Amino acid sequence: MFWKDKYKLGVALIDKEHEELFRRVEAFMKTLRSNESWGDKVHEVNETLEFMKVYVVEHFSHEEAYQKKIGYPGLEDHKKKHDEMVEYVVGVSDQYEKSGFDQQLMQQFGGRLLAWLVNHVAVEDQRIASYAIDKGVANDEN
Amino acid sequence: MMKTELYTPFLDATRQVLQTMLDLSDIAERSAEQFDEGQENLEISVGVVGDLEGTITYRFPSDTSLNIVQILSGMEMDSVDDFVASAVSEIANIISGTVMTLLSADNLTCDILPPVQGRLDNQKEYTQHTQCCITTSAGDICLDIALSRA
Ligand SMILES: [Fe+2]
Repeated sequence: MFWKDKYKLGVALIDKEHEELFRRVEAFMKTLRSNESWGDKVHEVNETLEFMKVYVVEHFSHEEAYQKKIGYPGLEDHKKKHDEMVEYVVGVSDQYEKSGFDQQLMQQFGGRLLAWLVNHVAVEDQRIASYAIDKGVANDEN
Repeated sequence: MMKTELYTPFLDATRQVLQTMLDLSDIAERSAEQFDEGQENLEISVGVVGDLEGTITYRFPSDTSLNIVQILSGMEMDSVDDFVASAVSEIANIISGTVMTLLSADNLTCDILPPVQGRLDNQKEYTQHTQCCITTSAGDICLDIALSRA
């Protein structure tokens, strides 16, 4: 399992979405890493990629709305990190399509996404949670 | 080789990142001479610009790369392919970013460039040249730090 309970932040809304995000990224990685030949799996890779891209953007916007709601002081910086990631995802996808679905590009993308996501959730998002917990608003109904 | 004042922020940042991302807590310093030279290394270079200029070169032996990506993904990895190399490059990027944050507390403002695979060959002389090598249950990692004050 890719998701680990230690990634839980103690904020119900964010935890739920992170678990889902990890599930989607895991599905993407599994397809990407399967033993099938690229030609056999490229269609499925593309499908899970599209699926995951939509979810990443949705989750980021929910998380930003949440930060705003609780008055999180690091919102601007955090939003910048999200925007940079979205820019990267969109850029690679474009390049990938133009290349006629080049396998190497997707493998590199998958690896970077994996490390980025774990660090982002374990470090950056943790700061939002610490703030919410300190303020005593972590488990208010969202 | 002398340890310069840059050694500590690099060691601390590496420790911090490996601990939060990979749950590695058994991180010990190791001399550069003891570094495992028996296997092929994945080398990642990260350029630094700003108050300090130069390059950080990370060396990850193959076993270390595979172990790290296995811990991260929960999936078996059997060779250092594009996926693994890219994940490890991002970790080098994250460690470097953490170093820059630590240095800014010492009033040194620097930025990092995107990581590139391989060693950047440049003939420049750097005033601060140090190595930071560690050993963990996931394997060894060595950082070659070559920086000068701008
Ligand atoms: Fe976030």
